[in-house]
Amino acid sequence: MVPFLTRVLRGNRELSTLVVCLTFSFAALLLPSGLKNGISEVISGAVLGPFKRLAAATSDLTGVRSENAALRRLAAGLMDERATLLGYRHENERLRELLDFLVTFSEEEALVMTPAGVIGMPGGRTVEGIEIDKGALDGIDPGMPVVVPSGLVGKVSRVFGHRALVEPLTSASSAVSVTIERSRVRGIVKPRFGGPAQLVSWGMDYVPARSDVRVGDLAITSGLGGVYPRGLVVGAVAAVAEGPLTMSVSIDPAVRLSTLEQVFVVTGTQAGPGIRTEEQLRLLREVEELRAQEGGD
Amino acid sequence: MRGGIFAVLAFAAVILDSALAPRIEILGARPDLLVLVVVYGGLALGTRAATVAGFLVGLVADSELPAYLGLNALALSVTGFWTAGIWDRLVRGNVLVQAGVLFAASLSHDLIYYAIYYRNHMDLLPHFIGRYALLGGVYTAALGAVVYAVARLGRWEAVTDGLRA
Repeated sequence: MVPFLTRVLRGNRELSTLVVCLTFSFAALLLPSGLKNGISEVISGAVLGPFKRLAAATSDLTGVRSENAALRRLAAGLMDERATLLGYRHENERLRELLDFLVTFSEEEALVMTPAGVIGMPGGRTVEGIEIDKGALDGIDPGMPVVVPSGLVGKVSRVFGHRALVEPLTSASSAVSVTIERSRVRGIVKPRFGGPAQLVSWGMDYVPARSDVRVGDLAITSGLGGVYPRGLVVGAVAAVAEGPLTMSVSIDPAVRLSTLEQVFVVTGTQAGPGIRTEEQLRLLREVEELRAQEGGD
Repeated sequence: MRGGIFAVLAFAAVILDSALAPRIEILGARPDLLVLVVVYGGLALGTRAATVAGFLVGLVADSELPAYLGLNALALSVTGFWTAGIWDRLVRGNVLVQAGVLFAASLSHDLIYYAIYYRNHMDLLPHFIGRYALLGGVYTAALGAVVYAVARLGRWEAVTDGLRA
């Protein structure tokens, strides 16, 4: 048998090559696993090792690239989210300020107010008018005072369906009766113009000479004339100059009109301290009705 | 010269078979780049070269799975041997013939490999052959057609016409 196979293989070099390959293959298959691992490590390390390392490096690079792209997308999303959150924070601060205003303001008569958003500011270099998103159909009438937590804004000059125009204190025709809070000195605050539509400063007129007015004093509405309720901040005294008969008092306005976003229109008054919104009044009415019903029962 | 080029291609096939083949998988089937290189090795260099190349390439591929060291070497050397031998009886410069040989070679490799691999679970073999090996054979044959077309354009007669070219 063996001599026959030897003769066949000697005569066929292709077949003998195959037999050798198969012998080695079977031998490899039958090796103990420890030896197989050793041989595999040698072959793999010597032949495939450098390419595996190269492939791993390439894969890392690809990973870094895709990770970079993912991080860029994430950063863009976070920037967007940050902008939104900053907007919320700003709104939150503004609403908190308004809430504080509603809670802390105290007068003999409560002011009933309707909140309104500022939707426009017609005018050139000075703010000649403020357009708000509440009008006649929301209970707004001409002449109603408009306020914000920091002070008086002006009064409603024209009303439309769901819009109204507010005449700010800086308008040429504006005049507010004020009182210096500390010394109770009275006067009229008017804008002072250096030319057409060129507001130079805000002045307090009709203040008798040698009155007790100092820089930093608060000017608040006096309530005289019946247009503005008493106690609303108009501004602070910025400069005082003595004259022969009257004093020249410059006022720094308390409200920055150009940054207004939301205002309150004073729609009426109610007995008792504090400021109330229409919503609060509605709730109070409901409570009153419930109490009346309970009393009736 | 041909031997050197073939050695480089064989080496590249071993690298690509583990790195590229999984990424170009279709319906779970992968092209067998080792079979491809062994079959074209047989066509260009003859039976002995194809058999030895099958053994060596298979052994390197086996080093990735030490428990079956020698199994790919066995299957590929047999595949290289019979495919190289069959070219004498076939029209070599025909893409359909080459694709057919590649399909049969891929199938034969899988049959040998998985018959030993599943020797204790032979009931799994038909399912594997039906699900993966046939599709893998078609994939390998299709890739062979692409290789043939490229060889045609590049006028690589060793691939388009074989050993006698």
